[in-house]
Amino acid sequence: MKSRYTSLLVTLLVLAFMYMPIVMLVSQSFNASRYGGKWTGFSLKWYEALFNDYSVINAATNTIVIGLAATLFATIIGACAAWTLNKYKRSKLQTLHYGLVYAPLVVPDVLMGISLLLMFVSMKVDLGLTTVILAHITFCVSFVTFTVLARLQDFDFNLIQAAEDLGAGNARIFLKIILPLLGPGIAAGAMMAFTLSMDDFVVTFFVGGPGSTTLPVKVYSMMKHGPPAIINALSVIFMALTFTVAIAGQFLTRKKF
Amino acid sequence: MKIYKIISTAAIALAALMLWGCGPSKPILNVYMWSDYIDPELVQDFEKAHNCKVVIDIFDSNESMYAKLKAGGSGYDVILPTTYMAKIMSDQKMIDNLDHAKLPNLKYISKSYLNDLALDKQMKYSVPYMIGYTCVAYNKEKLGEIENSWNIFGNEALKGRMTLLNDLRETIGAALFFQGKSMNTTDDASLEAAKQQVIKWKKNLAKFDNEVYKVGIQSGEFLVVQGYSGDLFQVLDETPALAYMCPKEGISMSCDDWVIPTTAKNKDLAYAFINFVCDPKNAAKNMEFTCYSSPIPEARQYVSEENKNHPGMFIPDDLYKRGELIRDLGEDNAKYIKIWDEIKLSQ
Repeated sequence: MKSRYTSLLVTLLVLAFMYMPIVMLVSQSFNASRYGGKWTGFSLKWYEALFNDYSVINAATNTIVIGLAATLFATIIGACAAWTLNKYKRSKLQTLHYGLVYAPLVVPDVLMGISLLLMFVSMKVDLGLTTVILAHITFCVSFVTFTVLARLQDFDFNLIQAAEDLGAGNARIFLKIILPLLGPGIAAGAMMAFTLSMDDFVVTFFVGGPGSTTLPVKVYSMMKHGPPAIINALSVIFMALTFTVAIAGQFLTRKKF
Repeated sequence: MKIYKIISTAAIALAALMLWGCGPSKPILNVYMWSDYIDPELVQDFEKAHNCKVVIDIFDSNESMYAKLKAGGSGYDVILPTTYMAKIMSDQKMIDNLDHAKLPNLKYISKSYLNDLALDKQMKYSVPYMIGYTCVAYNKEKLGEIENSWNIFGNEALKGRMTLLNDLRETIGAALFFQGKSMNTTDDASLEAAKQQVIKWKKNLAKFDNEVYKVGIQSGEFLVVQGYSGDLFQVLDETPALAYMCPKEGISMSCDDWVIPTTAKNKDLAYAFINFVCDPKNAAKNMEFTCYSSPIPEARQYVSEENKNHPGMFIPDDLYKRGELIRDLGEDNAKYIKIWDEIKLSQ
């Protein structure tokens, strides 16, 4: 019995350690005081100021456009890569492929950002939304691939053979068997890609050009001159969005859904 | 079916991307600056007056902006670095020398700012935009009037209730001012003496801090804090118990300057923009928006009555004389980093 209470206590402490800052942030975003040193009353004025600030809206639009585009392409490429990696596991070429897909997971962001920037500059590509999307696809692909690959470990390939025996064509097998079974894995990968793209700062900063400021870049810069209360309000909305996507991703990775 | 939903979302994303490609054919001015540092209404006025579109992008530090440009990042027509960074960019020929014929409003820029403080006194490559300074805020309700000096940090009665900035140039600079030296000195003996001074002060401090002091001075946890003017005056406006002082020995100032990078595509519009923000009426609007000071004395007549004597917006001329801008010290920066480490390690 005693150990149950100890573990409960430890769990609560860990949870408090992880979530207290977030609780503080959320409560401060409703504080009427600009700097939050004192509680001067409940107020929604920071949210109002936020929604009237067109540069924030602009940055939010950029973030969502980049997120959706990067997710779309990263999901397609990542799912195909996972399928190939799983199907030709034993070949040397795929071992190399595995290494290449794995690399972006461990390469530091700064390195990735600056090397992509150097590449775009040497290819004389104008920096802007397109380059940011390309960069985001690059790192999102790895995450999608590994999520889908994990799903493929449980995939029963006998089903495909059975379908072939019963006379199903490739298109039919793909639509009726592969997609429904892999769907949750692919969707979870897509959610992850979207969350990562939405949160990224370092890579975005380097490969971004005129007109591609995203929310994370905006928030960093707002620390210098912007009122902290607006940043709190923005962070709360941002966090709500990330949590929603992450929770949706969790539901999709469950076996039954 | 889930899959159709995913495909339709993707299609919308793609469509949005396509739409993005075909923007308006108006000329575009790309500005690269700090966030929340210009009145959005002014930007709209400029767009109307010049029938163009202004796209503002933002950076979070001079160093990251410099790294990006140095690596070949381009596409910006006007950039707003801090003075010391503008000088580095000019030395490295990353920015243009300015054509004053296209900037008639330069005549409004304060002569005393240029003569007493500026690094680029002739405005050869940069035009000053907003000045901020470092000063000291204190709790007047609890302490009463205090002496106008950095010496306050030596007061042992206030032990544990004061903060200095966690910024090596600002904090060592305060000690250098206190000893009557320049905050840009590279003289070893002066730096050693400044180090000892900061270590002495450190014993009385709650901590070195750049963020929490704003909350701490407001809640009464801290009684004396060194801080940036833009932040402190916003706290002061909200909290009548507080007051501020600019130590008589000297204070550090910083200014952000407009520059035009050599890679700019739309230079005429860039000149028009710089000229536009130097107009006293527009400068007044900007000051009331940011709480910082434009070095444009004429702007005073256009600000609202309650702001005419705002210490953040209108810097008295004698502060220019006491003030000093942080310079880039090149290789000597290492000296400051070394003594800062020693200060941090001292008990």
